[in-house]
Amino acid sequence: MTESPAAILVPRGTVERGPKHWLHAYVVMVRWHLASLRLWLVMLTIVQLLAGVGFVLGISLFFAHIPTTAALFVSTGVPVINLLTVGMMLGPQLVANQRSDGSYEYLRSMPVSRSVAAMAWYTVCLLGGVPAMVVALVVAQLRYDLPLQVSPMIVPAVLLTAFAGTMLGYALGHAIGNPMATRMITQLLVFVVFGFAPVLYPLSQMPRWLGAVNWWLPFRHMAVVTRAALTPGTHAAVGSAYVVLCVWAVVCAALAGRALGRRP
Amino acid sequence: MTTGGVEARLGYVPQSELRSGVGYWVASLASMMRFDYGRVRQWVPMMIVIQTLMGAGMALLYGFFYPHVTAVRALYITTGAPTLALIPVGFVMLPGTVADQKLEGTFDYIWSLPSPRSAQAASTFMLFTLFALPGSVLALLVAAWRYNVHLTPSPLLAAAVLVCALMAITVGYGMALAIASPIVTNVVTNALVFVVLLFSPIVYPASQLPAWFASVHYVLPFYNMAVVIRAGLTSGIVAHVATSFVVLAAWTGAGAGATAWVVGRRR
Repeated sequence: MTESPAAILVPRGTVERGPKHWLHAYVVMVRWHLASLRLWLVMLTIVQLLAGVGFVLGISLFFAHIPTTAALFVSTGVPVINLLTVGMMLGPQLVANQRSDGSYEYLRSMPVSRSVAAMAWYTVCLLGGVPAMVVALVVAQLRYDLPLQVSPMIVPAVLLTAFAGTMLGYALGHAIGNPMATRMITQLLVFVVFGFAPVLYPLSQMPRWLGAVNWWLPFRHMAVVTRAALTPGTHAAVGSAYVVLCVWAVVCAALAGRALGRRP
Repeated sequence: MTTGGVEARLGYVPQSELRSGVGYWVASLASMMRFDYGRVRQWVPMMIVIQTLMGAGMALLYGFFYPHVTAVRALYITTGAPTLALIPVGFVMLPGTVADQKLEGTFDYIWSLPSPRSAQAASTFMLFTLFALPGSVLALLVAAWRYNVHLTPSPLLAAAVLVCALMAITVGYGMALAIASPIVTNVVTNALVFVVLLFSPIVYPASQLPAWFASVHYVLPFYNMAVVIRAGLTSGIVAHVATSFVVLAAWTGAGAGATAWVVGRRR
């Protein structure tokens, strides 16, 4: 009995590191997110399913007879929106709410590294997006009898699209201090993705200058990589799309990491 | 100086009975409008900008979905644009504001004020109608410019826009009051807007819908809003304008009824 009572109470001074600890913390954080979002995730999945299927079916009402191209573009664009919903649209608002109600500081005080927190959140975003994406594609195939052909490239396309979107949302949520501003920017982004980016319709249907602006934004490239993996034939600009998406993902992750690394 | 000592020391006489009458109602309305405006003043420029961008933006983005914007499509999109701009104000912004007020506790505070609740409701109506109008006008102008559509506005337009704004705000307010939970309100309004913007024959003719779905829309307000506003902007395109006005009036009545029912209840 050489330890004094005071020594027992002193917290461990070292941060636990190593892959084993990382993995453990990751699993715990995924469970944390799933548990804290459980009600939301159920509702969100339903909303996602309805919205995805709704968009796929609803677009045909815009036309007296919908051309196959239009149907194909919407059906392969809706998966991108499904993948972005949790990470880019819901995520920043959740962080904004956490800031408003005070649980933000609490979450940051937890002994997990920034990479664990980010990867756990990314996993949750994928879980929230992929099922809706599959259902929307199946419905689209049944409704329009499209020439879809899923290639193995769907795996990197989905992973990178969701990653870039989640990191963008992560950066918005963490790097912008004002919850109100976060909400506004998020809603603006939703509007852009639906209407002002060539996600749901071909690039040729928007003014040339707007297409050029979109080259610098990630959404056009997300649609390119996802569409390339879902349709047959060769696709131009897939390589550059992957590069642009990677740059966006890395820059956003760095911004979020920097914001999280600063002590408030 | 023995009588009225308390009042003299307090400097005022507490009102023990309810005040009423037309003069008091109008005075209450004026002060409620000042109160409401003061609460949202810092957000007003931003709300108007967003509202305008949304309206003009929607007018533009519907065009992107078509490989070729034919003359008929252009006409439908342009004349549907003001309707598209009005719907979010009534069905999303107003219920959202009420939901926020409920969460913050402001809602109960306002109800505790000694002004008639009908004056409080009227103040909200007027304020949001004012917010709604610039956006819908600009949406129309942007769309007419973008698609190069020739319009023939008639005096009917003013009536149509006012009726539509009043309807959207009354129904949105009634909905926000009738649904107790702010979170449910949020979900309902967002789902509603999605359904409306995609599945309503506002920027495309109702004949493109399956027959059963079109008949659902004859009863819902959204298609009828588009009809009356289109009738005010064009001549000879829409029929049964009177029926649409009747449907809108019925919805306004229903919204006002829901508002009156909730407002008149004691908790």
